[in-house]
Amino acid sequence: MSGSHERVLAALERREPPDRVPVFDVMEEYATIYEILGRRPLPMGFLFTNRRTKAVIDRTAGIIDRTGLFFAEMDRFAYDRTEAAVRMGYDAAWVMHVPIWHFRDSRVAVDIYGRQYDVIVDGRGNLATPMYTKGLIATPEDWRAWDKRDIFRLPERANRVFLRIQKDFGERIFILPGFLFGLFENTWQPMGFERFAVALRRNKDFIRRVIAFYRDHFCLMLEAWADAGVPGAVYTDDMAYRSGPMLAPSLLEELYGDALRRITQTAHGLGLKIVVHSCGNVMPLLPWFADCGFDGVHALEPTAGVDLAEAKQLVGDRLCLVGNIDITHILVDASREEVFEAVRTSIEAAGRGGGYMVAPTNSHHAISLQRLRWMLEAVERYGHYPLGGPGHRKAEPGPRVAPAG
Amino acid sequence: MDDILREITEATRCLEMERVPTLVTHALAQAADPLRVLDALSAGMMAVGELFARGTYYLVDLVVAGEIMKEALAVLQPHMAVGSMGPKGTVVLGTVKGDVHDIGKNLVAHMLRGCGFHVLDLGVDVAPERFVGALRTSGAAAVGLSVLLTPMVRSVAETVSAIEEAGLRERVRIAIGGACTTPELGRRLGVDAVGRDPVEAVRIFESFLSS
Repeated sequence: MSGSHERVLAALERREPPDRVPVFDVMEEYATIYEILGRRPLPMGFLFTNRRTKAVIDRTAGIIDRTGLFFAEMDRFAYDRTEAAVRMGYDAAWVMHVPIWHFRDSRVAVDIYGRQYDVIVDGRGNLATPMYTKGLIATPEDWRAWDKRDIFRLPERANRVFLRIQKDFGERIFILPGFLFGLFENTWQPMGFERFAVALRRNKDFIRRVIAFYRDHFCLMLEAWADAGVPGAVYTDDMAYRSGPMLAPSLLEELYGDALRRITQTAHGLGLKIVVHSCGNVMPLLPWFADCGFDGVHALEPTAGVDLAEAKQLVGDRLCLVGNIDITHILVDASREEVFEAVRTSIEAAGRGGGYMVAPTNSHHAISLQRLRWMLEAVERYGHYPLGGPGHRKAEPGPRVAPAG
Repeated sequence: MDDILREITEATRCLEMERVPTLVTHALAQAADPLRVLDALSAGMMAVGELFARGTYYLVDLVVAGEIMKEALAVLQPHMAVGSMGPKGTVVLGTVKGDVHDIGKNLVAHMLRGCGFHVLDLGVDVAPERFVGALRTSGAAAVGLSVLLTPMVRSVAETVSAIEEAGLRERVRIAIGGACTTPELGRRLGVDAVGRDPVEAVRIFESFLSS
């Protein structure tokens, strides 16, 4: 077992890692990944914005889509982003594998679950995560009629991709596959939040049917990942926003509790650790995440009001805390001192006794690679056990380096 | 008459989706003053906002309240004199250029309408010049800019600059809201307020337009 594996396993089991706090990677942006790899990505974004190629895509998107080019690009990206995480020196990587988008033309994509998106290009010629615009499943009839064949194919595809990723990188980094989306997002987004809110009052049975479908689907995904040999998984489901949970915790338990317990039991039965990711202020949900059987929780956004020390006190004995490094300022345009200080305070708040992994709260294309490197450097400085040693004073990160990138 | 108006307030507060539009119809059939019906709905919405602020209600409940208001206002609007909706003033709202997220912005719009504001909702992916145009033509003294994603913060800065360059900054107060907004960001961008949620947005625009 590698040092990274020991560190991550210890953290997920709320034990003190053998040497230092592990670092968990969430990079999902083309520009960052290929800058690390020193390679040029397939210029997908350029193809979607250049006048001539855009016109070709507008006319032939359906044909290109049927060749499987877009899905194959997602397979390749999952592999490349794992390689980039290894090169950066992360201990764990949340590897999103999302062959889910069909491009209708150069501007609009539709996913396999029934969401519509605007295609987004990051300004450097790369495709960025598409932007959700609306749901396409308004009624139970729409749901019945929705073509689900790509959903059924997803576990087989994921198994094939992660077999290769695990074989090539699994010794060096703790791989936690993820895919879009969790049960909550997959129930509300394909219908839109307003329709979902109304359906909760007028047709709860419909919502329960959709939840049961995606519960079983997620369990199949876990089987596919476990069969590929990976040691963990991330359950990705934004259930909160900046002021708190989107639904009352009691309603979340009523609708999703049993399904989530089935998912975590399946993961554990397969020998996988499972971490839940949710953006927003999840403080009121943390005990529930632990009750549902998750090993860890990721994001813990400080800008949404998550207090890491309070979270540690609340559930530190039941959940590994992962994240808390801000992506609105700290990893975008902060000084080196600010990055070091953010890492130091997070480790101080949650690192004692283990059960914490340093990580950005999310990924977007304004995050600076230089600041990710500073984050990793800061963990080397402040993250060695026992914590609170001479290196763990208030940030003194050495020579000043002008902010770059 | 007061009984049915109280029932409208209470049914709105309790998020009784089917009942509120029916009660509004009954009140109008009994020749209730449409403005008093609107006040009763607004009182219910304010109560919903208070329950949200206290942590009793959640985001989904605000959405249901918004749907109730939409249905109730559809019943009420034909009975209102032109210009009588939105007595608290006009607010221009929109999600900034490059961003197409609309849940938060729609909730703010519903809450503001429910609380007696006239809302000019420009939608999503709104260019700075469209904000400027709407502020000019409506004469609105307040604008709300919604932004979810950090990379789109530059669009907020561009919109604030466009409002300044158009010479409107003296009379227009600017609020921002959305997942990536913080008080620090608000200070950097030079806006007048940062709202955490739709209920706080109502308080902000009330303070903007009452001063």
